[in-house]
Amino acid sequence: MARHARRVSHTCEVAEIHPEPMRRGRLGSGQIALEPPAVLTEQPEEVRSSYLFSDPALAELPLERLLDELLNRIQEALSVDTVAILLLDDDAQQLVARAAKGIEEEVERGVRIPIGRGFAGRIASERVAIFIADVDHADILNPILREKGIRSLLGVPLIVEGNLIGVLHVGSLTPRTFGPDDLGVLQLAAARAAPAIERASLSARLRHEHSVSIALQRSLLPKGLADFTSVPVAARYLPAREEVGGDWYDVIELPRGRVGVVIGDVVGHGIAAAALMGRLRTALHAYSIEGHGPGRTLELVDRFVQSLNEPAMATAAYAVFDMYTSKVAYATAGHLPPIIVSPTGARVRDVPPAPPLGAFPYGRCPEHEFTLESGEMLFLYTDGLVERRGVPLTDGIETLCRSLDDSASPEEACLAAVADMLPVAGLQDDVAVIALQNRPVPSELHLRLPAEPKTLARVRRLLRRWLIERGADEEAVAEVTIAVSEACANAIEHAYPPSPASFELDAWGHDGEVTVAVRDRGRWRAPRGLNRGRGLSIIIAAMDDVQIDRMESGTEIVMRRRLRHR
Amino acid sequence: MSLADVQITLAPNALVAHVTGEVDMSNAEEMGATVIGATPNEARGVVLDLSAVEYLDSAGIYVIYGIRSSLQARGQALILVIPPRSPVHDALRLAGAEHPGEVTEQVEEALRVIEDAGRTD
Repeated sequence: MARHARRVSHTCEVAEIHPEPMRRGRLGSGQIALEPPAVLTEQPEEVRSSYLFSDPALAELPLERLLDELLNRIQEALSVDTVAILLLDDDAQQLVARAAKGIEEEVERGVRIPIGRGFAGRIASERVAIFIADVDHADILNPILREKGIRSLLGVPLIVEGNLIGVLHVGSLTPRTFGPDDLGVLQLAAARAAPAIERASLSARLRHEHSVSIALQRSLLPKGLADFTSVPVAARYLPAREEVGGDWYDVIELPRGRVGVVIGDVVGHGIAAAALMGRLRTALHAYSIEGHGPGRTLELVDRFVQSLNEPAMATAAYAVFDMYTSKVAYATAGHLPPIIVSPTGARVRDVPPAPPLGAFPYGRCPEHEFTLESGEMLFLYTDGLVERRGVPLTDGIETLCRSLDDSASPEEACLAAVADMLPVAGLQDDVAVIALQNRPVPSELHLRLPAEPKTLARVRRLLRRWLIERGADEEAVAEVTIAVSEACANAIEHAYPPSPASFELDAWGHDGEVTVAVRDRGRWRAPRGLNRGRGLSIIIAAMDDVQIDRMESGTEIVMRRRLRHR
Repeated sequence: MSLADVQITLAPNALVAHVTGEVDMSNAEEMGATVIGATPNEARGVVLDLSAVEYLDSAGIYVIYGIRSSLQARGQALILVIPPRSPVHDALRLAGAEHPGEVTEQVEEALRVIEDAGRTD
């Protein structure tokens, strides 16, 4: 190419190339620091090069493609045989070969050059352009350069806002004297490329952290919410646009018809916050199934945070709903107040908060009790949902209440909150919400249930609620429940192939009595052994009247019993 | 949530199994296998503490009988702890199976029964 004509003698002067103060060390043997042309002469070539490296399209490229594109353009502009970009690994104080043309082995072998040594290492430490006229007689660390038969090299530092981020060098397989014009083009390329590389690698790093954190967060949040039949629960987690945080929710199924719901928010962002969130969620869950109430559970989580020996703080609220009494036991460690959504609208329930988790040693976390009336919902949320710059928090909470006003179910409440509260530009902070409803128990039950053993516990919970709602005394609740559960167990045992894997349960009340019918489509099997016979004895003993209808199409057990004073 | 839990403690000559939660056809067999599996050969007997059980049905009763016959085959006694008016007491009454084994109202009493039986051996 014609540009080869612009070769200059390799005796060109060693000189400062940066106007800023630089450390000047002794260069390695055979290395010559170059002075750039004082002013880039506006020759057509320079204009073309200038465009080559400032093409706006470059700004759009992800890191790998950006590097690749830059190498192509530099190779073309300088008619060189090799081009390589090495980026600084700050922690290791090494340059790492990141992209190369003509010497792809550099990247493939993961070449690392210590700062201050060899050709590229000197460029980085001295922050000067270095020209090597004859590789054979120069101080070269990287054997690949010799192996490839490179004769001459020219390299420049990549600098962004005064910080060295890497080195860019070009090579020729024939002896070549790189002159001021070549240096000008390479420095122009470096000046344009450095910020683009920095931006792209930063965004690649962020994207990596973001995807890792989201995956981590996903794995730390509950997979699916348990099915409580008459106590529906819904929840959402939304990551922030830039970064994940430490928000979480949890649902905890507790003995004796209780359901726990948790909301929490670890102070801080990123993977560290998400990891701490996972530990706090686990700790809270574990303490709660130990049998501690909400207040004591939060106190124990606080002690756990205090024991971590690392600065950590979080807010959390934990509510336990008793489906048989409709009472909520509630404790909050510095968390935002809960919202109660009733059929007449949503309102804040003021609960005095205890200090955040990890705030003070031996913090006390009192427990509060209130009733969640039939049909009402408890809605818990994190500050990312209601906090907006320049808007008072109370206004944000008020806006949230208005968007929840017409929600009839937890699912609707979560949808409304997300639809109305999320800013168009995306979330600055992550958001978690969870809603639990004391769903009204219908006056009659008509259920089709899966014929599997775990259905029994669900049926008993729903039936107990239904019986209490109908005014049954304690004995009637216990006895009807065991009788119906036995009838269901019988139906489940009948459901062997090819019978359908489901059965039906109907229950209705009349004149101080209840009638429950359990119907399966399986073929009747005579009671086998003491066990099933005993089940039938229980049904007969527990109820006032029992009819068993064994048909070709299946079996129906219809049971009747008074609700009080048997 | 697991429906029930079995907590095993060892007394000098007996194994005490505290059962909590609800026992039905979904978990009764595991409950029985847990108790039998944890009983050492040298124990004179097993105290099955059912005082904190919230629900027990015919499948649970069946398993209690199973535990009793397994222990009998090994020459070990089964003492049940069932307070009056407890859910287990009511279930046994409804099933017409009031005596699935020797019954006491408290664990201490059950342990004494096993000790005394050992002394008269």
